[in-house]
Amino acid sequence: MTLPTAARQYRAVGQRSGIDVGDPWEAIEACYARGWTDGLPVVPPTDALVDRMLAAGPWATGDVLLHEPVRDRAVTAEKAAINAVMAGCRPEYFAVVGAALQAIGDPAFMLHGPATSTGGSALMVIVNGPIAGRLDLNAGANLFGPGARANATIGRTLRLVLLNCLDCRPGVLDKSTQGWPGKYSLCFAEDEAQSPWEPLSVSRGVPVGRSAVTVYAAESGHNVLSHGTGDPERLLACFADALAGLGSLSPGRSVVVFAPEHAQHLRRAGWTRPRVQQWLYDHAWRSLADLKRGGKVEPAFYTNPDLVDWLYRDAPGGRPEPPPAPEDADRAAPADEAVRVHRGLGPQDILLTVGGGAAGGHSAFFPSWSRGRSVPFVTKEVPA
Amino acid sequence: MTRILDPTLADAAGPAALRRAPRPRALRGLTVGLLANGKSNGMALLDGIVERLRERHGIGEVVRAAKTNASAPVSDEDTERLAKRCAVVVTAIGD
Repeated sequence: MTLPTAARQYRAVGQRSGIDVGDPWEAIEACYARGWTDGLPVVPPTDALVDRMLAAGPWATGDVLLHEPVRDRAVTAEKAAINAVMAGCRPEYFAVVGAALQAIGDPAFMLHGPATSTGGSALMVIVNGPIAGRLDLNAGANLFGPGARANATIGRTLRLVLLNCLDCRPGVLDKSTQGWPGKYSLCFAEDEAQSPWEPLSVSRGVPVGRSAVTVYAAESGHNVLSHGTGDPERLLACFADALAGLGSLSPGRSVVVFAPEHAQHLRRAGWTRPRVQQWLYDHAWRSLADLKRGGKVEPAFYTNPDLVDWLYRDAPGGRPEPPPAPEDADRAAPADEAVRVHRGLGPQDILLTVGGGAAGGHSAFFPSWSRGRSVPFVTKEVPA
Repeated sequence: MTRILDPTLADAAGPAALRRAPRPRALRGLTVGLLANGKSNGMALLDGIVERLRERHGIGEVVRAAKTNASAPVSDEDTERLAKRCAVVVTAIGD
């Protein structure tokens, strides 16, 4: 029997199809009627607006910016441009949109999971480099909130692409138990000037001076408040405590966005990025007994070598022999009090960046999607 | 009159030439494939289904495949094995 290899090929981009409408209001309502929105009104994607968007990017109409392999869906530059117009993007944003689509489409990112899972993650986009300033991407006050067009519409484009091109409709293919407002849009720039460290993109291998996006499947952010100390260890203790929250504890990743005030404390103390990552990893743990009492250890964990490794990688004396049995998952033994289970598998699982207003000791921690390893951070350069 | 463009993949791209396989009229004696999607209890759920399919429909051989990660595609090897050997395939997510 021959497999349907035709499934790997795509019909050529043909005539653009669309619908005729009488006036802008009718156009907006027509988009609602067809389920083409995220719940907010969209800009009607006319031929002229889509052409202008495409002309601003380096891609040809039929270039595939994102291929989702589980369902074999390919999003071309033209479809991305239609959704970018609808989201409210200016044409000059399109290079960032395209790079972000390429990042979430990287096979390592395994988009199908975060796009559909009950975990209900948002697609976080962190922008570095000169393009952030050129597009007025907000890295300052209220950077996760409303008010900045580039932040709002670049992030929104990713969600519209998921809804319209990958059919991730709520309750159908998007099975988010609750979701969260970051799913409308979650895009911001790193405040490179306020950061004590090299740009996030440079730490991830992008040459200095180039623009880049870093994507992450994020659960809702936790505000980390601290106004009473400039001492790095006392300050970071608040962050480690947030990272070790039982509800979100997992072998997955973390994103920490330091407010400038907190970043200044770390700068003055001379703490490097790797030192902060290491300190947070070392201190963000709960005892295995705590995990078991909280019902966080499932019987199936003990049949998965990766999860057994996570639970016991910092256990005194190493992994227990004989290995624990599934029925041990629910029983907190006295020895489990001394087993430290860390968030993530190592310091590299904690991504550190900087952003926010000049005033206020309010930083943020975003846990990764999933109770497992989640998906990795992916960084892509934005084409010049 | 203004034209607005379709933002979905209904018109422009997508897997071409995919057709539904013909449906068997009965399951007796047929080889049934099981594809667990990679969540921890998918195969347990399929095991329960197989038991009932055996009782009620007298199915034949069973071929098992499991994704190692729910976010990843099925491997080409598993797709080929299931397609070659099975008359029907049942898939399950079991979380």
